[in-house]
Amino acid sequence: MDIRKDKGVLKWVLIVICFVFLSVFLLLPLVYIIATAFRAGIQGYIKAVTDEYALKATWLTIRATLWAVGINTFFGISAAWCLTKFAFKGKKLLSTFIDLPVTVSPIIAGLIYVLTFGRQGPLYGFLDSHGIQIIFAVPGIVLATIFVTFPFISRELIPVLTAQGTDEEEAAALMGARTFTIFRKVTFPHIKWALLYGIVLCTARAMGEFGAVSVLSGHLRGKTNTLPLYIELLYQGYDFTGAFAASSILVIMAVIILILRLVIEQKGKKEIDINR
Amino acid sequence: MKRKSIIPGFGLSFGITVTVLSIIVLIPLCSLVVFTSQLSFSEFIYTVTRPRILSGYYVSISTAFIASLVNVVMGLILAWVLVRYNFPGKKFLDGIIELPFALPTAVAGISLTHLTTTNGWVGKIFYDLFGIKIAYTRLGITIALIFIGIPFVVRSVQPVLEKIDLQYEEAAFILGADRRTTFWKVIFPEILPSLISGFTLAFARSIGEYGSVVFIAGNTPYETEIAPLLIMSELQEFDYAAATSIALVMLAIAFVILSVNAFIQSMVSKRVSGLA
Amino acid sequence: MSETTEKTVEQIENPASYVELKGINKHFKDFHATKDANISISKGKLVALLGPSGSGKTTILRMIAGLEHPDSGEIWIDGKLVNNIPGSERGIGFVFQSYALFRYMNVYDNIAFGLRIKKVPEKDIKKRVTELLELISCEGLEKRYPSQLSGGQRQRVAFARALAPNPHILLLDEPFAAVDAKVRLELRTWLKEMITKLQITSIFVTHDQDEAIEVADEIIVTNQGRVEQIGTPQELYSNPASPFVATFIGNSIQVKNFDRFRFFEKPEEDVTAILRPEFVSVYKKGEKVQYSKSVEEAVVEDIIFRGSNLEIKVRLHDNLISSVRSINEPAIEIGETVDVFIFRLFVIFKDRIELFYNRSLNNETVII
Repeated sequence: MDIRKDKGVLKWVLIVICFVFLSVFLLLPLVYIIATAFRAGIQGYIKAVTDEYALKATWLTIRATLWAVGINTFFGISAAWCLTKFAFKGKKLLSTFIDLPVTVSPIIAGLIYVLTFGRQGPLYGFLDSHGIQIIFAVPGIVLATIFVTFPFISRELIPVLTAQGTDEEEAAALMGARTFTIFRKVTFPHIKWALLYGIVLCTARAMGEFGAVSVLSGHLRGKTNTLPLYIELLYQGYDFTGAFAASSILVIMAVIILILRLVIEQKGKKEIDINR
Repeated sequence: MKRKSIIPGFGLSFGITVTVLSIIVLIPLCSLVVFTSQLSFSEFIYTVTRPRILSGYYVSISTAFIASLVNVVMGLILAWVLVRYNFPGKKFLDGIIELPFALPTAVAGISLTHLTTTNGWVGKIFYDLFGIKIAYTRLGITIALIFIGIPFVVRSVQPVLEKIDLQYEEAAFILGADRRTTFWKVIFPEILPSLISGFTLAFARSIGEYGSVVFIAGNTPYETEIAPLLIMSELQEFDYAAATSIALVMLAIAFVILSVNAFIQSMVSKRVSGLA
Repeated sequence: MSETTEKTVEQIENPASYVELKGINKHFKDFHATKDANISISKGKLVALLGPSGSGKTTILRMIAGLEHPDSGEIWIDGKLVNNIPGSERGIGFVFQSYALFRYMNVYDNIAFGLRIKKVPEKDIKKRVTELLELISCEGLEKRYPSQLSGGQRQRVAFARALAPNPHILLLDEPFAAVDAKVRLELRTWLKEMITKLQITSIFVTHDQDEAIEVADEIIVTNQGRVEQIGTPQELYSNPASPFVATFIGNSIQVKNFDRFRFFEKPEEDVTAILRPEFVSVYKKGEKVQYSKSVEEAVVEDIIFRGSNLEIKVRLHDNLISSVRSINEPAIEIGETVDVFIFRLFVIFKDRIELFYNRSLNNETVII
């Protein structure tokens, strides 16, 4: 390995550049949020985060996130299974469509739902006569959240399943195992870490989504405000302590997610090493 | 559609995949197409060529481009440091790179804004020493987009760099190449495709970014108004036609960027795998 | 007398040391990869480093190339101590196991790489590359990328790239491992011809004894980090220096109770013998043979068709012994009782190996 060694100076210069860059761009904003959140003291902080509307916004965020993670897990598994275990026409097109939502600006994601379910949309008449409201209501928020995180889980599963191939499933099928048995006993053990990893990424994005949700929410305080929208509201009302206090909830969740991500990655790697 | 596989569950997984995909992605996208077809062409051209709109595109694209370039350089250095060096704090560095994925964009946005106003921790230094304003300028937008784009380049280069066979460097070494020549002639061509890929992903994401930018931008027309914000303001005035027109152009831009990348990647894989 | 003149004298006295390793040791963490290796290779020879995987053969090659550094010991090339000279200045060409052709450079640029580093004028580079492409019969492929070449072509291009800067020594790490069986045989012959033509001192690593025996002038056998023996293929065959070499070279079986064979005696010590197919002859009952008085009976257990001949396996005193028989001789069947004659075997003592001959070979004339 010694031919890969760089001279000491270059190595440490590059390492220092990395630390400075990441400290300024990533850590400083994080530290700043926590510092500002506590500027009004512990009392002020507790009061801000236990505010009725803050709690309602947190609850809505959790609900939307659970929906998005649930649906995308269900979808991600069947999409990954379908795309990796079978050969069929239009496979490439299907996978392109699945990946499409991440390349679309969140604002545009919001827009297309407004166009579909809004007053001028083709479905409005039907939905309205049944008393279903989607945009400027919770279903819209949930839909937008699902959209922006749509490929997050399938994208983690597909490479793992592709690498694993179809031999094991074919062997199980030849022995007469049925779909769910094959999935549970043969496929699932391969993908469990990738799945968990995808769920973590999906959760992170879902709870933090701002643009798409912002378009669809109608900004009804206590009804359709998710945590990021509530933060915006406070911020625009110049309640900075409140905004940063609410932000700190999301910061803590983000840090937990980063730690989970590292742990899952380590465990998954270990498992793969053992299986080799 | 021919099915040769003996693995069961094709119909089920295909059905679920297509159904969910249709509800979440395809139908809403179709309504965008349907709505667009109702627009008159002249109206469309008029809308998207309004100076304020054009300036919005310009601001979005130019700041996204510069931010992505910065991220290419920093992403390469970060990936290199993480793959090739051992040093205390490496795990930590590797972990926080993902922060922009985990931290909600709006939270990042308000924090970066407060840090860089002329009274902020960082902004004050720059204003007092150099007379440079960061928040509420295009520089501020660029900073926010750098934050958003950091993980893209690192995560696309890192695995490729890890996989480079030591033999290439040894071969170059025995033929007399020094570290610098080996890097530029042997290693760099190997990671260039992933660097381009990381750049495109960061660039496409940055153009559509809303949450982190909207606070720091200040949203002065012709100066710091980004394209997604323009869609948002049209929506708030219920001018769906204008919003859709602007969105269509943005989708087209994203499509072109991603197609260019797909083309480059397919050229590269042809060369490397020999499937010419 | 200064050291340099001393060396010159030594070189004249001992021309067998163009590449010389003296007391080389190398550890990888706790693993002792090379144990006190002493090797001397003379100029122009084609040498094989032969051993099972993990025996340290590749480590020796990499140390000669300067890709690894020995913990102790000296490496001399052409009368110069090269321990502190970087690999690129040792006058070495290296062909990697999977060739390590630069994927983003075409054939021309790959071969030209080393010359460009040395700042050779582009005109001369063109001349040299053209010359090499002709040598490896790959004219017209200069614009191709490595992925567009066949396995054999890749090997040749890797060979040309290593040769481009005119090295004095060519090192090849498992040069035939990455191509399929048929191409491998072709390449072996090709490489031997090439190296003989160019008269370049070459060392290649292999785990395949047939490959080593067929291609090399001299073989260095390694095992568990030690150099077991250095010699020509014939020497290794007829005079194995260690039990390992005796078992590793050739298709051999071990026999414990060889004193039960006719006309063989076992010494006092507890020893094992090694028997090779070519030491044994099998005759059909009643076949007229020279040693008919000294044969013993055995039953055929298996017959394996080897293309040009047959391998006959017989059970003799609880040992399954192999012998080779021409397909032109009268056919033998499984289960048949045959006559077996053992010419000789290697007996492994603690400190040496001895060749034991069938005593009747000496006595035959006397007895009759």
